[in-house]
Amino acid sequence: MAEYDIKTDSAYAIRPDEAVDRLKGALLKDIQRSCYVYRVDCGGCNGCEIEIFAAITPIFDAERFGIKVVSSPRHADVLVYTGAVTRSMRVPALRAYHAAPEPKVCVAYGACGCSGGIFHDLYCVWGGADKILPIDLYIPGCPPTPPATIHGFAVALGLLNQKMKASYHLQQDDEHPQLLHPQLPLDLRIQVERAARRMAGYWHGRRIADVFLAMIKNGDPLKLSSTLQEYLAAQGDPRLSEIMHRLEEVYLAWLADH
Amino acid sequence: MLKLIREVLKVGQATLPYPFAPVELAPGFRGKPEYDPQQCIACAVCTIACPPNALTMHTDLEQGVRTWSLFYGRCIFCARCEEVCPTGAIRLGHDFELASFSREDLTVRAEFRLAACNLCGAYFASAKELEHVLALLDQAGLPPEDAADRKALLRACPECRRKTDLPRVKPLIQEAFNGRV
Repeated sequence: MAEYDIKTDSAYAIRPDEAVDRLKGALLKDIQRSCYVYRVDCGGCNGCEIEIFAAITPIFDAERFGIKVVSSPRHADVLVYTGAVTRSMRVPALRAYHAAPEPKVCVAYGACGCSGGIFHDLYCVWGGADKILPIDLYIPGCPPTPPATIHGFAVALGLLNQKMKASYHLQQDDEHPQLLHPQLPLDLRIQVERAARRMAGYWHGRRIADVFLAMIKNGDPLKLSSTLQEYLAAQGDPRLSEIMHRLEEVYLAWLADH
Repeated sequence: MLKLIREVLKVGQATLPYPFAPVELAPGFRGKPEYDPQQCIACAVCTIACPPNALTMHTDLEQGVRTWSLFYGRCIFCARCEEVCPTGAIRLGHDFELASFSREDLTVRAEFRLAACNLCGAYFASAKELEHVLALLDQAGLPPEDAADRKALLRACPECRRKTDLPRVKPLIQEAFNGRV
């Protein structure tokens, strides 16, 4: 077995030479379909693997584009690296890379594969496949959904264009952040948001409170009950009804105080 | 054989047409975080909440500049940033097509100016954050005579604020300790 350098910086990642780069360019240009994919798990949680397998089921059916998951790196055109590259899985990952014939395309899959994800600063983690290997495509997601996986492979094979673009914003003089619900008194907003978040959790709570506050703001306060009933009947969710009615109580109590 | 064909025709096509047609997403699907730099006040709450540190912020006190950055490659789409954002500047959308050939294309950066202390001139907080706090004070309905003092105090850095506020606080402390201080 070859000796491998154990530096964790991406500057020490394997670099293919120019001839291989040219071959790879031709591969990416000409292959378009029928690529064989080998999946390398470098210490992931298996979420990404489950999504890859979901992508080759009849519902999403990646095989209709000729994308086939194979069981040996010796057959592979594309290597998909999942997981944050742990100390124990680093050498197997490198062996899989060397076992695959040139030219090959390496894909970093999932938040961990792209950059280490939630494990990026662990002591035993290299933090992403690009720290040890030349990565051609990043597919972010935790895990990427089967459609995201298919989109990623379509981008790699040149069937679709990349949608993401780096962006940079410099603060301008005319930037003035708007307050949330500026027409409503601050203490009412806080009371409603707190109650909603306590009952529904933070994320849903905020969205529910936003809907409720918009109703107060836009509608006639006397007709709030009927607007609320209409909205809840359309949603048909008993949990939402319970929360909204309690928010209405909070609002009425606030009105009584003022 | 005929039975099988009949069965197949009855079941129809299970495969989704994606990527040739848009895929139907479940309600509450958490996709790419959409960032609105106009609304961002650079308060750094999201960078504290972000579990994988996909959101980071760097403050340069010499230059008076704060740089906010988001790396989609590390994002786990948990929506903690959306939960905590006080101005609603970041919200998870429905876009999931994030595949990219380079790390650079997965980054969003924004640069904001810091406010200088009105007493000593040192940079201490984001200018937009300060503006937001002053607007919140107005919304909270502070009496006008109180508001002017409070606002002047907020425009100073924490160090100057402490020094300025000392004469006001001193009698209160002495009272609390029965004149033993």
